[in-house]
Amino acid sequence: MICQSARNQHIQASEHPTVKALRRIIHIDMDCFYAAVEIRERPELADQPVAVGGSSGRGVLTTCNYPARQFGLRSAMPVFKAKQLCPQVILLPVRFELYRAVSTQIREIFARYTKLIEPLSLDEAYLDVSHLKQRGAEIARSIRDDIRRETGLTASAGIAPNKLVAKIASDWNKPDGQLVVPPSKVEAFMRDLPVKKIWGVGPKSAARMAAGGIATCGDLQALDRTQLARQFGSFGLELFHLCRGIDERPVEPHRTRKSLSNERTFSQNLTDLESCHDALATQFAELMADLRAQAPDRQIAKLFVKLKFADFRRTTAETGATQPDLNIFHALLAEAWGRSGRDVRLLGLGLRFAEHNERAEQLELALDAVITTESSG
Amino acid sequence: MKFQINKDYFTNGLQQVLNVVASRSTMPILGNVLIEASEGHISLTTTNLDLGIRCRIKADVTESGSITLPVRKLATIVRELPQADVHVESGEGTQTKITSGGSHFKIMGIAADEFPSLPSFENRKVYELSQEVIVSMLKSVSYAQSTDENRYILNGVYFNFADEKLTLVATDGRRLGLTALETAISEGNAGSLILPAKTVAELERLLGKGESVKIAFNDRQAAFEIAIDDSSDSGLTDHLYLVSKVVEGNYPNYRQVIPKETEHRVKIERELMLECVHRAALVVSEKHNSVKLKVSKNLLEISGSSSEYGESHESMAIAYDGPEVQVAFNPQFLMEPLKALTKDEVFFEFKDELSPGLFKTLDNFICVIMPLRLN
Repeated sequence: MICQSARNQHIQASEHPTVKALRRIIHIDMDCFYAAVEIRERPELADQPVAVGGSSGRGVLTTCNYPARQFGLRSAMPVFKAKQLCPQVILLPVRFELYRAVSTQIREIFARYTKLIEPLSLDEAYLDVSHLKQRGAEIARSIRDDIRRETGLTASAGIAPNKLVAKIASDWNKPDGQLVVPPSKVEAFMRDLPVKKIWGVGPKSAARMAAGGIATCGDLQALDRTQLARQFGSFGLELFHLCRGIDERPVEPHRTRKSLSNERTFSQNLTDLESCHDALATQFAELMADLRAQAPDRQIAKLFVKLKFADFRRTTAETGATQPDLNIFHALLAEAWGRSGRDVRLLGLGLRFAEHNERAEQLELALDAVITTESSG
Repeated sequence: MKFQINKDYFTNGLQQVLNVVASRSTMPILGNVLIEASEGHISLTTTNLDLGIRCRIKADVTESGSITLPVRKLATIVRELPQADVHVESGEGTQTKITSGGSHFKIMGIAADEFPSLPSFENRKVYELSQEVIVSMLKSVSYAQSTDENRYILNGVYFNFADEKLTLVATDGRRLGLTALETAISEGNAGSLILPAKTVAELERLLGKGESVKIAFNDRQAAFEIAIDDSSDSGLTDHLYLVSKVVEGNYPNYRQVIPKETEHRVKIERELMLECVHRAALVVSEKHNSVKLKVSKNLLEISGSSSEYGESHESMAIAYDGPEVQVAFNPQFLMEPLKALTKDEVFFEFKDELSPGLFKTLDNFICVIMPLRLN
């Protein structure tokens, strides 16, 4: 799901479970989560097109239900466009507190089955169930039944030997469905998938591959390591594995949050600094709410503002600070904006936490103005 | 392919290219060295796809040809051979015969045509500089490179050819080393690159074998042609060739973190300060990895302490007549630039406990070091 307001958590694994020869990983993905929660609160809306998202004309949809999708509505679609396509759409404001409470409830259900849970966001998680006796499909079905019974919501699941394939599979029989990809079927399953399903293959790489006649993972499978390495450098060697659905990343349940941030992609680029400052104030309030809810006792080390411009260049302005301070964010925004002065597509702001147990704090050079040109992910 | 070669020459040649093999065994041929024999010499090439090295060694070639062999195994075997004369022969298959005195080896290889060739590239900017100067410049900044993969742009040394000088910069966000060399830069030949840390390490090892090094680069790759002084008895001939990917992206604006002016400046004896910091740091622990510098009238005191081991205290006479200042640093950050420099006259500049300390020399070297804030 593409969120209008994505809360990022940069995380660090502090413990790796042993990578077993044959693992069973379940990826659980709630079906149109925010919209589903809202409809649960107001069942009379169930058969009508419902979307959750920005209330102003400039906002975008975070999610919408299936009746709305029949009109062509999608996540990340600008509200004005959604209204054009479906004038009768019922647009509801975002209520993160509510979604967070439901998300906690769902994670408690996961915890009955395995300790190896890696949440990706409020509505998605990987579960490693390799150690359980039951078949992966049974476990997934049982988890989905529990979720439905206890929250009234539906979830979809992908069951596979690794995270890469499980995540792709959970999307297959959506909504309220699941797909098992057994180890023997992984390579065939990958064959017809477009290359952009592979993590690490962004729009730029996909375009480069398309130019070379490579559209699917099957096309990549046809190349040997030497050919992949010649075309894509050392990433080619990873591609060799990924296009075959080989992924050994462990499910990482123990995580230390290193930062807290939110970002917003605007449906209409912000053309002046003034409107950026307005957006910043709104997002700052959300950041403060998240901080209180998720990490009230952590020591803060830095504040940062991230911008993506109309030409897709990104820049981050960052400064040392021990308290979140709106004025500092405004100053960082002005600094970051001044580096380009172009229209702004995306604004993000956040804070980095100090590492634990620091007796003497190593001060940093004020050097974080690293502008990199990356493809938009 | 058939040639006869001096064992020490062969060993020496393999030693040049040995470090560049792929760490992952996903592509076995990347663990091999490509051996190409032609008249009067053999070429040895290794690559890990990001970095490739080629050298030439004198050899008596009776039949030209090529093969690839596992480089580490080959180097071990050649080093252990009993006699100075080594005969190498391969035919149709992928087996290679190596004989020396009464020793006979048959080594399994992989056909040469499967070896990924070193890239050639266009739109290059080219410079020719002294090997001795470049290696000493590299060493004076390379310790400051970042090893944090999240800041990949800092995982290398920045080369900037502009404003009639070559500037080298490395930083990990906590300290920054910079050195510059005045050199003629023609219009259109100005440019910059970020050389990956692994390549920097190889260059530091390989440079110094002759007079000059030719540097060519574009926005994706850099190549170094290292001239070999033929008069040495290394067996190496012609030049060493190293070609590397560059770190793609824009290097951060390092100028903004170099203080324009600092309050106080003292001249120090490099080796003496290095020894004092080294001794003071003998009692610090990993948890309390800091030494305190206290500057007062004509005196620099360096002290360390930890609850595990105790305390240390060093004194150095300096010429200073300012206010008393105390500032704490990671001892490694002080020792690394002091070790890397060769000039004995170094200036140390500072302001207060929260401002960076600077080492400077008269020949365009600066190292900015952020202090530790003691809680």
